[in-house]
Order: sequence, then structure tokens, then C-alpha cells
Amino acid sequence: MARQQGLFALILALAIAAGAVLFSFPLQLGLDLRGGSQLTLQVLPAGAIKAVKREQLEAVKEVLDRRVNGLGVAESTLQTIGDDQLVLQLPGEQDPTRAAKVFGTTALLEFRAQKPGTEQEMQGLLRLKRQAQSVLDLSRRRTPADPADPVAPDQPPAPVPSFPAEDLAKALRELGVAVPAGAGETEQIEALLDEVNKRVVALYEPALLTGKDLVGAGRQQQQTGTGWDVTLNFNRQGGEAFAKLTQSIAGSNRLLGIVLDGRSISEASVSQEFAAAGITGGAASITGNFTAEEARDLEVQLRGGSLPLPVKIIEVRTVGPLLGAENIRSSLVAALAGLALVAVFMVVVYRLPGAVSVVALSLYSLFNLASYALIPVTLTLPGIAGFILSIGMAVDANVLIFERVKEELRSGNTLIRSIDTGFSLAFSSILDGHVTGLISCIALFALGTGLVKGFAVTLGIGLLLSLFTALTCTRVLLRLMMSYPSLRRPSYFLPSRQLPSPAA
Amino acid sequence: MNSSTLGSSALPPIQFFRITRHRRLAWWGSAIACLISLIGIGFSWLNPSIGAPLKPGLDFTGGTRIQLERACEPSCSAITVPQVAEQVDSLKLPAEGGEAVPVLRGAPVQVLDQGRSIELRLPSLSAEQGKAVISQLAATLGPFKDGGTSVDTIGPTLGAQLLRSSLVSLLVSFVAIALYITFRYDRIFAFLAILCLAHDVLITTGLFAWLGLLAGIEVDSLFAVALITVAGYSCNDTVVVFDRIREQKANLKGFSFSDQVDVAVDATLTRSLYTSLTTLMPLLGILFFGGSSLFWFAVALTVGISVGSWSSIGVAPTLLPLFSGKGFEGSAPEDGAAPAGAA
Repeated sequence: MARQQGLFALILALAIAAGAVLFSFPLQLGLDLRGGSQLTLQVLPAGAIKAVKREQLEAVKEVLDRRVNGLGVAESTLQTIGDDQLVLQLPGEQDPTRAAKVFGTTALLEFRAQKPGTEQEMQGLLRLKRQAQSVLDLSRRRTPADPADPVAPDQPPAPVPSFPAEDLAKALRELGVAVPAGAGETEQIEALLDEVNKRVVALYEPALLTGKDLVGAGRQQQQTGTGWDVTLNFNRQGGEAFAKLTQSIAGSNRLLGIVLDGRSISEASVSQEFAAAGITGGAASITGNFTAEEARDLEVQLRGGSLPLPVKIIEVRTVGPLLGAENIRSSLVAALAGLALVAVFMVVVYRLPGAVSVVALSLYSLFNLASYALIPVTLTLPGIAGFILSIGMAVDANVLIFERVKEELRSGNTLIRSIDTGFSLAFSSILDGHVTGLISCIALFALGTGLVKGFAVTLGIGLLLSLFTALTCTRVLLRLMMSYPSLRRPSYFLPSRQLPSPAA
Repeated sequence: MNSSTLGSSALPPIQFFRITRHRRLAWWGSAIACLISLIGIGFSWLNPSIGAPLKPGLDFTGGTRIQLERACEPSCSAITVPQVAEQVDSLKLPAEGGEAVPVLRGAPVQVLDQGRSIELRLPSLSAEQGKAVISQLAATLGPFKDGGTSVDTIGPTLGAQLLRSSLVSLLVSFVAIALYITFRYDRIFAFLAILCLAHDVLITTGLFAWLGLLAGIEVDSLFAVALITVAGYSCNDTVVVFDRIREQKANLKGFSFSDQVDVAVDATLTRSLYTSLTTLMPLLGILFFGGSSLFWFAVALTVGISVGSWSSIGVAPTLLPLFSGKGFEGSAPEDGAAPAGAA
């Protein structure tokens, strides 16, 4: 009996510890339960790299990690999946648009000098670009869906930029841009702008300086106007290259192009005064007329460095916190209602040991939740399903034992002997059932994807704990009860008419 | 008690029934259920609008699903599916990255919870385009509840990957379980356990093939999880009966194998039924109280677990004497036909 009491004390201590763990480490809820956004990114092979390997994935992840931190979403996580995928989780983030933009771009920054003898062509292109850009800016500002960018009411009405339809059609024709029939004005201008940017980039020499030599990036509001500039700081090597680059075009009509991901975002002239030494000091700024948010995103991308390989966003999931809350509430209600029914069933069918098993199963649930908090396991809907199923298996273990005990009692064994035999006879089938379950859990965890993994983890933990609670908790509690003679009655285990009569 | 009097000492009393005497009924029942399932899967495959064994959901086909909850305090204007569809047809999306703007015309629309929420099934949209859909719909169908919105975009590659990894992990766990049972019991037990498992998975899949054909129910990644669970559960259920059969082999040495099977199944019957019942209770809870997101998951599990319980009682034990070459000695089927494979 001393051994039983020692074990009982151990179980009690474990229960208290589990309670304390749950109290101090809250359960981590998955995005499907608490709301948030999840983006899956596929890293694509490019250039000399034909297939994405582990090292390249890690390199991409490193850059993206820096961008995640720049985004400033609390508790965001970025994980690699397989050899060429990354999953970004942004708890609480309802609008994945910005994250998608910040993540989907390579952010390859290049500084390139204009080729000699292309001044005329460049000027024509830039004129088109300015016109198209200002019309686009205006129409964007007019869209009611974007209240972040209101026109100040006290400003005098500026001359409205416009793009007459015939001019637009002519420009498109000259550049050889085919627009789909029925495209609106905005789409046509966007197509035009794309083509203009492409042609501008074609007028540059190859890059002599890239974002690799960047040591810092910042942003500042423009002295005049409402736009933002992005400032750049180079390392020594970059500073020298920048000086040489600016020196080579200073005073000429050639421009310095700042190209981001193959798109010309800024064209600057370098004045005569820099002809001697170029722009020295290793600092520059991009005057792109950015909004505050655009400037911040560009700064984040530049500071994080350019991606060694392009990425593509292949999945975006967003769950609102309300939907999440509803899901968790109804799932919990369902689980608790089902478990209450199971508890009633166990007590009605198995009487005293049934009541004991209800206590043991409550402990089992407590241990499970504590393990989730401790490991930690992020609870998702499939995870809850795995938990509910593991409770089913745990109940099964108790049913197996009590059925054996009943059988032993029916065949005329004493109470204590029946209990012991019941436990030892049920052991092999409980073990086999749990081991086969664990085998599938291991296969699912090793080979499955996120959703299936969450299920496998909770089911696996549940199976391991169920082996412990069914074989230890239930047994110790039952043996402890049997130490009280008043409880030692077979009729507390099964209806007396099923017992063999003493005469038989 | 109708205890049998074969052999010198008496067989333990049989409480319920001798399963091997009903073997033909059991086999026919299972065979017909499997056949109906196969027919459903075949029809689904041949159906030009499905073209797959099951009607694949968004998780497997790729695309964007947008769920919107309307703010209904104090009350909402009534909306109908055609109204929403008309709004969807007139949506204008921003182009992105030089790719063609997806065509939204004719996209499937559902109105749920008495017009309180809307579900749209669209071709793959970028995050920006998804936002545009919501903000444009809000003008006519809104206002929408803050935080009641869910946007899922899944690329078709990810769906294929999910399907492949689910199938591979399922097959690997089949093989591993078969190896374990071979190690603990023998080859025939392992073969029958896997056969039962395939039986349960097939019937569950068949049901959803029919549901897809008749009611348009689609399977998602949770269905893959449900199938895997059914497989694991079925195994556990069968193994417990096998464990008892092995035990009876030692206890009832003088009796025929089918007698041993009968006694073992009879003794574990209460347990098999009670265990299924207690596992079904939380599932029924999810069916009736759970969120709509888990409804079909719970249906798949409920059916799979019920079938799994049946196969562990009626299929695996009755096939055991047949496959182990011991026949059904002294166990004439009660359903009329002559004993099969008598040694």
C-alpha cells in the first residue's frame, strides 16, 4: 500500500505542476483559431541555379527574416518547409497586402549610368513617364477605397493632370504596346508606364554598384512637397564606386538611374560641380515621391538586402479573429459536451471504476494541455481533432481494462485479484493499439504537411500520455480506493445478478 | 446460456452470437458496401465536371476563397445568391505583375446563415486583388464585420503537394503497421488488418464520392486527415480483437480455430461497441454543436469509425480462419449455405 500512496503523491504532484504550467505558459493558438495571415512562399531557381537547395533556402530566409522584423508584426514567425518553401505567419494581421508586397520582391537595387548618345530618347521617355505617373497618382487619390491618402482640403485646386485619349493611344502605338480590348484608362496608362520603364532601363549601362554595398537605409520627408525620400549609406567600397559613377556622368546630360528589380524608380542628373571627384561621402538619396508607407517598405527591403533568388507567393490565408473565436468556441463546446456524455456513460456502465476513470481522464486532459503549453504545440483545428480522438483512445484503454475486470469477477475471482488480472490481461492489447497509433503518428509527422502535422502531434502526445494514465493513474486510484473496506464490494463494479452465486 | 458442447471440455459460454456462423452475411454486407463505394468513385471519375475519384475542394484545385460576415446589427437587408453573383460579375480588379486579370464572371457564390455571411470561390487572386474584391463588395453588400473576413488563396502546386504527402504518409504508415503486426502476431493477421483498413478507408471515400456526385460536397485537406484517422482507429480496433484471438488460441487448445474466433469476438464485443460509442460521442458533439468548418470532417470520422468498428467485428475475424487455411470446421453457417473451405 505504501507504493500506491507514493504513486498517488506523484500523480498529485504532477497534476499540480501541470496546473501551474498551464497557468504560467498560456496555450499557443494557431492562426485558424486566433485570426491572422499566413503566406507560403516558393523560392524559384534562377540563373545558374537550376534547383533550389537547402543553403540557398537558408540564404533567402535570412534576408526575409530581416524584412519580417522590419514589418513590425508581433510574434510573426518564418519557417522553412522542405527544400524550397517558406511559411510566414502574421498573427493578428488582417491585411496581408503589404506583407505580400514586401516579401514578393527581390529588392535588387542597381545604380547604373546612362549610355552615351541616348539623351534625346531618354527625355522623350521621361516626359511620358511623368505625365502617366501624375495621372495615375491623381486617379489613385480619387479612389474612395484608399482613405490613407487624402487631398488636403485647404490646398488650392492644382491643375488637373490629364492624358487625352488620342495622345495615349498614339503613345501606346509608338511604343508597340498592345492593350487588351476594353481595358480602362488606368489599365492603359499602367501598361504604358511598364513599357516606358522597361525602355528607360534599356538605356543604362550595366550596373557598377548594387545594393550589396549598402550598409544602411533610412527615410526622410521631402523639404518641399508631401513625398518621402529614401536615404542610402554605402560602405567604403560602395562609396568609391558611387563617386566614380557620378564623376563619369557629371556635367553631361546623361542621367544616373536607380533601378529596383529591373524597374527604373528614379533618374537623377549629376551637376558639373561633381566632375572633379564625383559625389563622395558614401551617401545618396532616392527621390521617388514615395508615400510614407512606400518609403518605409522600400527602406525595409533595402536594409534587408536583395534576395539571392526570386520568390513567388503561392498561398495566402487570412482568418478574421471573429471567425477564429467562433471556431474555437464551438469546437470547445462540442468537445466538452461529448466528454460530459462520455463521463456519464462511464459512470453508468462501470460504476465505481467508471467514476475513477473519469477522474483519471480529467487528469489526462490536464496533462495533455500542459504538454501543449510546455513543448510548445500550437493548437489548430486539426490539432483539437487529434486531441478529441486521443481522448477516445484513452477511454478505450479504460473500457478494455474494466471489461476484463468484469469478466474476472463473473468467473468468480475475488475483487482485488480481478482488478490485478484485468489490468495485466488488458495490457497487451492496449500496448498494441497505442503502438500502431503512434506508428501512424510518426509517419504523418515525418511526411505530412502543416495541417496533418498538427493533428499527428496532438494525437501522438495523447497516445503517449494515455498509456501512462490508463496504466498508472486509473490503477493507483482504484487500488487506493480498495484500501477502504467499505468500498470493496463487487456490486460497485457490476450488477450483483451477473456475479456467480456463492453456491456455484 | 447456449454454450457449445464440442470437444471434451465445454467452450466458454457465448453471450451474444457466434460470428463465424454469420460470416456469409458479413462478407456480403461488406462486399456490397465496397462495390457501391467503387461505383461511386468510378462515376465521379467519369463525370466530366469532376474527373477525379472525389470532388476536389479548394485545397486541391487552387484558387481563392473569400468568406465575409455582414454586420447585422440590428438587422440586415435580405440578399440572394443571384444578387451577390451579379455584384461579383461587375467587380473590377487591379492587374498585377503583368499577368492577366482573372475572370470572375460566373464564380460560385454561397449565402450562408440566413444571409449573414457570404462565401465566394474565385480563381487565384493576389493579396491586393483579394482586398479589392472585399472593398468593392462592401459598397453594396456591406458593411462587413471587422475581423469577420477570411481570405484563402492556395496555389495548385500546394494542393498537389498536400495530396501527395498525405498519400505517401498514409502508405508508409500502412507498411509500418503491417510490419509491426507481423512482428507481434503473424503475416496473416497483418494482411487482414491492412485489408480491414483498406475496407474502412474505401467505404468512407465511397460515401464522399457519392456526396460529391449528388450533393456537390467537396473534400478538403481535413478529409485527408479524417481518412488517416480512420485508418489508425480501424487498426487499433482490429488489433484488440486479434489480441483476444491469440489469447484464446492458447486457452482453447482443443477447439477448432473458428470456435476460438467466436469466443474471442464474443468476449470483446461489448468493448468494441462501447469504445466506438465513446469515441463517437465527441464527434457527434462536433456534428451538432461544432462550427461549420468541422462538420464534414466529423461526418467522415463518424462514418469511418462506425465502419471500422464493424470490420473489426465482422470482417477481420471471419476471414481469419479462411486465410490461415484452417477453415470453418464444425461451424456451419446459419445463413443457409454449405460451409466453405472445410479442411
